[in-house]
Amino acid sequence: MARNGMVIELDRCQGCRACMEACKVENNTPQGNYWMYVFRLEEGEYPDTKVRFMPRPCMHCDNAPCVKVCPVQARFKNENGAVVVDWDKCIGCHYCVVACPYGVNYFNWKDPEKAQYLDWKDRALASVTGGAAPAYQNPDLMGRYGQERRRVAGGGHLKGVIEKCSFCVQRVEQNLPPACVAACPVQALHFGDLDDPNSDVSKTLSRKRSFRLKEELNTQPKVYYVGQSQPGARAHEIEAVKARR
Amino acid sequence: MRVGRRTFLKSSAAAGGALAGSRLLFGDLGTLEARGPESKLAYTEERLPTTCWLGKQDCGIIARRVDGRVVSLAGNPAHPRNKGTLCPKGVAQISAVYDPNRVKTPLVRTNAKGAPGQWREASWDEALGLVADKIKEIRAKDPTLILWQKGRSKQEAIYDTALVGALGATRVGHGTYCSDAGYRAAEYTIGAHGNGHPDFRHTRYVLSWGWNVTNAGGNKFCWITWNQQLVAARERGLKLVAIDPNLRGAGPFADEWLPIKPGTDLALALALCNAIIAQGTLDREYLVNYTNAPFLVQEDGAFLRAEGREQVWDEITASAKAFDAPGIKPALEGRVNAQGRNVRTAFQVFQEHVAQYTPEWAEPVCGIPAEQIRRVARELGQNALIGSTILLDGVELPYRPVSMMFYHMSQQELGFQASRAMFLVFMLLGASEAVGGLQVDTSWSVHSGFRSMENATVNNPPYSYTLSGSKFFPINSVNPGMIAKVILDPQKYEVNKLPEMAIVHMANVLTSFTDQPTMEEAWKKIPFVAVIDPWLSRTADLVADVVLPAATMEKYEGPIGAGDGYDDATVFRLPIMEPLFQSRGEMDIYLDLTEKAGRLTGSGGFLDRLNTVLSLKDPYKLELGAKPTVRDIFDRWAKSQGLTDGIRFFETNGVWNKGAVSPRKKYGYGQDPPFSGIRQRLYGEGLLRLQKEMQAKGAAQAYWRDYTPLPTWRPPTMWSSPPKYDLTLTSYKKIEFKQSRASQVALLAELAPEQRVAINPATARARGIQDGDTVLVESHNAVTGETRQIRAKAALTQTIRPDVVGMPHHYGGVARHPWTQGQGPTPNTLFFTGEGYVTNTADNTFHVRVRVEKA
Repeated sequence: MARNGMVIELDRCQGCRACMEACKVENNTPQGNYWMYVFRLEEGEYPDTKVRFMPRPCMHCDNAPCVKVCPVQARFKNENGAVVVDWDKCIGCHYCVVACPYGVNYFNWKDPEKAQYLDWKDRALASVTGGAAPAYQNPDLMGRYGQERRRVAGGGHLKGVIEKCSFCVQRVEQNLPPACVAACPVQALHFGDLDDPNSDVSKTLSRKRSFRLKEELNTQPKVYYVGQSQPGARAHEIEAVKARR
Repeated sequence: MRVGRRTFLKSSAAAGGALAGSRLLFGDLGTLEARGPESKLAYTEERLPTTCWLGKQDCGIIARRVDGRVVSLAGNPAHPRNKGTLCPKGVAQISAVYDPNRVKTPLVRTNAKGAPGQWREASWDEALGLVADKIKEIRAKDPTLILWQKGRSKQEAIYDTALVGALGATRVGHGTYCSDAGYRAAEYTIGAHGNGHPDFRHTRYVLSWGWNVTNAGGNKFCWITWNQQLVAARERGLKLVAIDPNLRGAGPFADEWLPIKPGTDLALALALCNAIIAQGTLDREYLVNYTNAPFLVQEDGAFLRAEGREQVWDEITASAKAFDAPGIKPALEGRVNAQGRNVRTAFQVFQEHVAQYTPEWAEPVCGIPAEQIRRVARELGQNALIGSTILLDGVELPYRPVSMMFYHMSQQELGFQASRAMFLVFMLLGASEAVGGLQVDTSWSVHSGFRSMENATVNNPPYSYTLSGSKFFPINSVNPGMIAKVILDPQKYEVNKLPEMAIVHMANVLTSFTDQPTMEEAWKKIPFVAVIDPWLSRTADLVADVVLPAATMEKYEGPIGAGDGYDDATVFRLPIMEPLFQSRGEMDIYLDLTEKAGRLTGSGGFLDRLNTVLSLKDPYKLELGAKPTVRDIFDRWAKSQGLTDGIRFFETNGVWNKGAVSPRKKYGYGQDPPFSGIRQRLYGEGLLRLQKEMQAKGAAQAYWRDYTPLPTWRPPTMWSSPPKYDLTLTSYKKIEFKQSRASQVALLAELAPEQRVAINPATARARGIQDGDTVLVESHNAVTGETRQIRAKAALTQTIRPDVVGMPHHYGGVARHPWTQGQGPTPNTLFFTGEGYVTNTADNTFHVRVRVEKA
């Protein structure tokens, strides 16, 4: 039992998007779905220009609006504070998409195997991989996790369901940090129990002033940002990643 | 479960309605299908160490393999360079290792060169036989006519030295498109092999001079190592000053930004020297004792010598003495009469030379306010702490915590002299190879180029096709683009023998190198081309006769240095699976190729040379008569190094950690005597000598004019393009891609799907260009009048100077790949090679004047 959260040091982040890629490989998410997304932002006019980077996972709100609207209880908060989706139960109704103020829910529009980048069924390749799609398919994603032993790990399972960041339930149960945290080249991402004063996240929070996104909505996000103030209203995104048609 | 689902849907009107709507949009839903089978999580899991194949710094990787299938790559915590982390390329390359679009079998061309290839599949035996027969045929005439063109070889001792030596081939690298002008300047000026980086653990003030911090590189390393060190240094209070026409790279890590005009770095460096001399923050002890600054210079520019020794002015006896005479006190400044000649100290010459280059002079040239240049000079002087020392591991060393990071920015027309001038800035402050100061390599050693360049000769024609030793480039980094020019016009360059075959190793000549139309024309003329590549590169597609499918990371390759400058280590690339399809590691390919070409066994063969370059010791030396396996070769290397487990040590542990690098090894000042006894070159006497010899042999002014003993400003050639070419194009890298082996990685291509021309909104507005509009970019060659055009979409950004546009590299390198279709052009189409667009060392510029309009 823990209240796991994430602390993101914006003054370390290089905007490299290794976290996005680590998430994709670990969770096998389909094309265009980024459970972790890094905004690259630009603000001000030449030569007084500012560039900044802002990783955005699911906020894993303590008071999560997506959980409240889910008509089938597919969305719930697990015993470690992660807001997860039971993809066995999800009916793809999009209520969570509408309720979430952070835009972190992704719908599987395509047959997942057709949205996995390459033709993994290529005969010569499949003779080596057994036809796994993607070839690097993570077997842990079919597992059952948490006290309720529900299928809440990974993405790209089924067409027509909503999936999102699970704080890597399959890794956390093995005492590993989420894939994004593990990959970050400059340790800008911290993960751990917010209720434990000795955790990495608590210690980082006590060192630096923090903010959370849209705190005024009382969603009580468990993702904290430190090291920089919030982007100004005139900051705009550069180098956005869009789903490929 | 399925029944439960349907039961629920019937009872829920709202959800049912949503679903009905959704079904209209995208057809059958997985939610209504039977769910997947219950999980079967019993599996066999292994964690295998290996090394990144994409990047340059060879980060340590742990591959997670489940039931024989690799499911992820993560950083190896024991590797000093990446410490358990990976960049986006390192993570994403798993999708490339398994890419079904790799070249699966050896291919032989069935159509004419110059058009997309038509191929027939061949056996390894047949394909290697074709290449080996050509090698034999050409070796019988002149082995140097075999051109071995590498991009990154990943094992220089084995490939560049042993293999190329066994074939007798001509080795050509990609350094003239990378940072070789800086290498030549460092070797000549500082005496070490590299460009420049800060001693991050101890530095306080860093000029990020063209360092694309958040996207790429830096000296020696690929990416992660510097960024980890930078972040730690900033948390200790480091100030970073970005000198770059584009702020995007340094981004939030720039504490101050000097948006310099491209091609004027030499002018800025000279102005910094001027201001530093004016403010008097000179490390006189360093300059007098460890550089040639006190050497006396005659009016003809040569040093005053007596009995072969350079003379200095001894202030004690008021007479000229040999620089290394005991008990003297050499003067740093002054004009004197010695041995009946009017002489000045080299420093005096320099001081008078830079007197013209004031910050006020530099302001309009560089586009940077004089006051800002003075402030940076002042802050450099204050932070240099001249005279201070620091105790490291019991060794007291000079402490000069000011430095710079510079690398690819050396590739501009005046790049050799600009790099030299940048070194001089830090030499004045005594920061060269001091603790906290400017380092050229990760540990100190004197490079052979320090002496060989000073003693270079200008030969008589005919010249080799590399133009080495020629009157054109007596110091020559060997530019593949110049080789292309030579192939198309050998008479002009007084060359009588051209390459008759090329072996392309981990390079994509027709995308990665500049002056694309010239390259294509020239490479079509090379009679036989073999390309070794995991993918059908554009080079392979257009000009290869034979394509040999290389493995990616699934092979043995090494030994590979893994130190981060503070801790030393060695690793190997290890096969985390069998080579996919019919691909093979380069070592396997070369063992078979040299065997078929009769160059494997015997004295001077590949095996004999492997014994030498790998320093194999008895009883682990390779027998010269029998072909070993690749694993066996590396097993012998490990055992020769005293690792009794042999290669198994690496297969088990991944990293051979060798502990901290001693300050005695790391710093030039840590040597006994300091700098191993060399005098760092403020004044380049040999450059002046070469200039005179080039003139005597009739070289055109364009070739000799930058062979000056002190860095001397002149306007870049591109500035004489007509005024309608009113913008300067620069190029850079993106974090997503590395050279020509990443833009086809599906996961990476998704992040950065197509070429974009970065343009300032004010510039765009004046041309009616909006973000996302397709624009025409036309470059102009100020010497030949040639023009080149590309079309790409505009990306408006306030991070770039209004008189500059920028384009990233590495798009479109792989032919016929679903993720490279439509990626758009490479800026290399727009850049030129040849007079006006190469340095005096044959290094290529990545600057050109362009015009941009809405297409």
